[in-house]
Amino acid sequence: MSVEFTLNGRPTSLQSPPESPLLWALRDEAQTVGVKFGCGAGLCGACTVIVDGQQTRSCVTPVADVAGKSVTTIEGLSGDVAKAVTEAWIRAQAPQCGYCQPGFVLAATSVISADPKQSSDQVLSQITNLCRCGTYDAIRLAVGYALTSLQGAENHEKGAAR
Amino acid sequence: MSEGGSTLGRIARRSFLIGAGVVGGGVLVGAGVVAWRLGAIDGYELPASEGEASFGAWLKLARDGRVEVAVPHQDMGQGIYALAVMLAAEGLRLPLEAVRAIPAPIEARYANPVMLLDGLPFDEASHGALKQSVVWTFDKILRVLGMQGTGGSTSTRNISAQIRRAAFCMHDMLARAASARFKVPADQLRNVGGAFLTPDGRTATYAELASDAGKLKPNDIQPPPLARGAYVGRGAPRYDVPLKTYGEAKYGIDTRQPGQLYAAIRHAPRLGGRLDRAVIPAKILGVRGIVEGKDYVAVVAETYAAALAGLEKAEIVWDDSKASSVSTKDVFAAYRAALDKGMDFKPRWIVDSAGDVSKASGKEIAATYDAPFLAHATMEPMNATAFVTETEAKVWAGHQSASLVQLMVAKAANVPSDKVEVFTPFLGGGFGRRADLDYIAKAVEIAGRFKGTPVQTIWSRAEDIRDDVYRPAAMADISAKVDGDGMPSSFVYRIAVPSVTDQFVARALPSAKGGMMADRTTVDGALFPFYGLPTRSIENFTVDLGIPVGFWRSVGYSLNCHFVECFIDELAVAASTHPLDYRAKLLARAGSYEPAIRAARVLEQMAAFDKANPLSPGKDGAMAGRGYALTASFHSFVGEIADVEIVKGDLKVRRVHAVVDCGFAIDPPNVVAQVRSGINFGLTAALYGRVDFDNGKVVPANFDTYPLLSLEDAPNISVEIVNSGAALGGVGEIGTPAIAPAVANAVFAATGKRLRSLPLTFGTA
Ligand code: FES
Ligand code: FES
Repeated sequence: MSVEFTLNGRPTSLQSPPESPLLWALRDEAQTVGVKFGCGAGLCGACTVIVDGQQTRSCVTPVADVAGKSVTTIEGLSGDVAKAVTEAWIRAQAPQCGYCQPGFVLAATSVISADPKQSSDQVLSQITNLCRCGTYDAIRLAVGYALTSLQGAENHEKGAAR
Repeated sequence: MSEGGSTLGRIARRSFLIGAGVVGGGVLVGAGVVAWRLGAIDGYELPASEGEASFGAWLKLARDGRVEVAVPHQDMGQGIYALAVMLAAEGLRLPLEAVRAIPAPIEARYANPVMLLDGLPFDEASHGALKQSVVWTFDKILRVLGMQGTGGSTSTRNISAQIRRAAFCMHDMLARAASARFKVPADQLRNVGGAFLTPDGRTATYAELASDAGKLKPNDIQPPPLARGAYVGRGAPRYDVPLKTYGEAKYGIDTRQPGQLYAAIRHAPRLGGRLDRAVIPAKILGVRGIVEGKDYVAVVAETYAAALAGLEKAEIVWDDSKASSVSTKDVFAAYRAALDKGMDFKPRWIVDSAGDVSKASGKEIAATYDAPFLAHATMEPMNATAFVTETEAKVWAGHQSASLVQLMVAKAANVPSDKVEVFTPFLGGGFGRRADLDYIAKAVEIAGRFKGTPVQTIWSRAEDIRDDVYRPAAMADISAKVDGDGMPSSFVYRIAVPSVTDQFVARALPSAKGGMMADRTTVDGALFPFYGLPTRSIENFTVDLGIPVGFWRSVGYSLNCHFVECFIDELAVAASTHPLDYRAKLLARAGSYEPAIRAARVLEQMAAFDKANPLSPGKDGAMAGRGYALTASFHSFVGEIADVEIVKGDLKVRRVHAVVDCGFAIDPPNVVAQVRSGINFGLTAALYGRVDFDNGKVVPANFDTYPLLSLEDAPNISVEIVNSGAALGGVGEIGTPAIAPAVANAVFAATGKRLRSLPLTFGTA
């Protein structure tokens, strides 16, 4: 029995058992290893993917749940918002060890895509990922940069420094 | 040797031992042999293949014309690769893109003696002849032993001078070759993007000059002192940032080898427990086998999900006959008993003393502090991939010492060290955890049952937290006699804590005997204070109840700086003096002692910030307070100011300002990032961190029971750098020690309540 869905824009079918976690199916079967394992219990966000626009923790999502849906991992991230977010991340030099960062980038992209007119604080309050290296100041800065570039003149960089 | 006697006397005896050629582990190194081996390693050259030119141990010109710089350290997020590129590019007058960093071969030439030298029980500020000679001897021996390692905030200190010198030497050789070719004096040549340009417009690239230059004898060039240059002192974008942002960076857990299998592991639930037997009752799709280890069981399967499912269904019988029944309260009871026993307790070490504390007079102020065990919780859980055959072994894993990995893999796979290959991808965090290599040894053992097939062993988060080597819990009795002005006439510091170094040595080199000298890390942050405390006794009571302890970001400083800086705050309150002024007075009493001068400079900047940015009042009935702490660790000085708010018993840290003197900031934006990182790491500990034990079992299992600081609760952190021009200090850990005391002191300022136990919580207990 296989589960059919769209992975990073391509029709994909996974053989992993439908009740098994999407995280491991993506990492071991689809080989999209940008999806990271942090806690396996929905607590850290390292395994974040975007499912039909929503940030989703793949470690607590059974493979069956994404049947017929569109899943985006860091490998398949594209579009204006994603471009603004990743460029902002680089400009802010956000990553340290970097392990949590794909999860943050996907979470930020999903939240900002839902409404690019939001304030920095609104965006940040919807990101509940954890970073053990404590890159939070740089992440706030990066979110501010991304919003500024998407919104044009309005200055969110100030907001990011809170 | 553990009681009485001056530090000097003990060291003199020890230095004699070293002279005689014995160093931990029973390795014999005679003086003649040292000299001979030194000659050999200094002549080491990076291996160059066809079309490449090697310029010694650190630099080579690759076939594509780019310069490669060898880095013998792991990048755990501290940015050491980027720093090596910056230093090499600057010395060679090259753009950053013309240089790339490569992992150094596992060779004695790349040893990191700094890490171990920092463990010697000397005052860092002393330049006495005895210290110099002992340090020199240790340095040579450690280099010959050739231990590569990343830890103790030493990467930059270990390699920056060597890389700079290599780059300046290589540039000089290229310049002489260009000068000879063009018959133009070297000082008339200009550098443009990897080439020399003559005044009349002729050019030759470094690559074109490489073979001429290679024939020249290197001059012994001493680079100028570190100063702001093209990249140095300014910083540059890190090459790893885009890789990590786009998810292209590969970590140990991302290793994918052809035909690779996956293993899920479970350790004995109680410390010291053993595996009796384990079986998988029914056939499970994809499961290939079960490995029964001494104290663990692992299920090997075609996917990790299948391995996890197999482990879930496995019937496991543990043998608890030798298991520990230790609980947290036993540990603290043992600490209390040891401290109460006082002089009669063994092993006890007076690591630093001056004057006679028993003769001091004045009013006594005393307090007892304690702190719990802590887990590392690196974001990437422990994992390693191993490939083992009868004759060779390969390992892919994040770690903090290639040399130790090589030794350990050879042993676990039963192959010679030169048949071991170690591949080091990015590390998803280290913080000291990946200095202990148990997770690699087990992965090799497991792969050894599947000879010829690579096996990746991944620990679940619960295994990662429950089979850690913890930051030790500790208890400290601190007392001072104070004079009429409230200034201390004596200072007695007694800490009960196990020795991380002894345990680590016993794990890494089982033949070595620990406990032969005081473990300096147990009192780091309390000994040789920069404050003027001329009558003092700094004592360690080594109490070990068998809970595994390891190096945790900033090690002993995370305990002792906290206890000392909270106590100094108590003294300031008792003296009715502002905590910054009180510290200034204490520093003034130290006279021209170099650490006191550096600390005073940091304190001045803290006071300036304090004045310019007054504490904002708490909103909606919150109590607000500001706290201060001043610390020295890893040869750097850090002062932190924390503003807190307490709303209905809920403590929030709103903002933190740090003043940092690390000698000279080679890469200032990265210094800022590292200090912020260290502060947030320390905040997790200050606000939530505790690992409890119950009847030999570790209580927390995941981020719900071992919470990490979140984005929402992380304060805004500003960092101010003071370039004092002192010798380079470390950066990776220095933000951590000052934050817990700054927050605890802020809580006192806000509430009048002195919280002497970590983590900082109100009244629920
Ligand atoms: S790994 Fe999925 S939330 Fe942590
Ligand atoms: S960058 Fe290391 S965990 Fe976030």
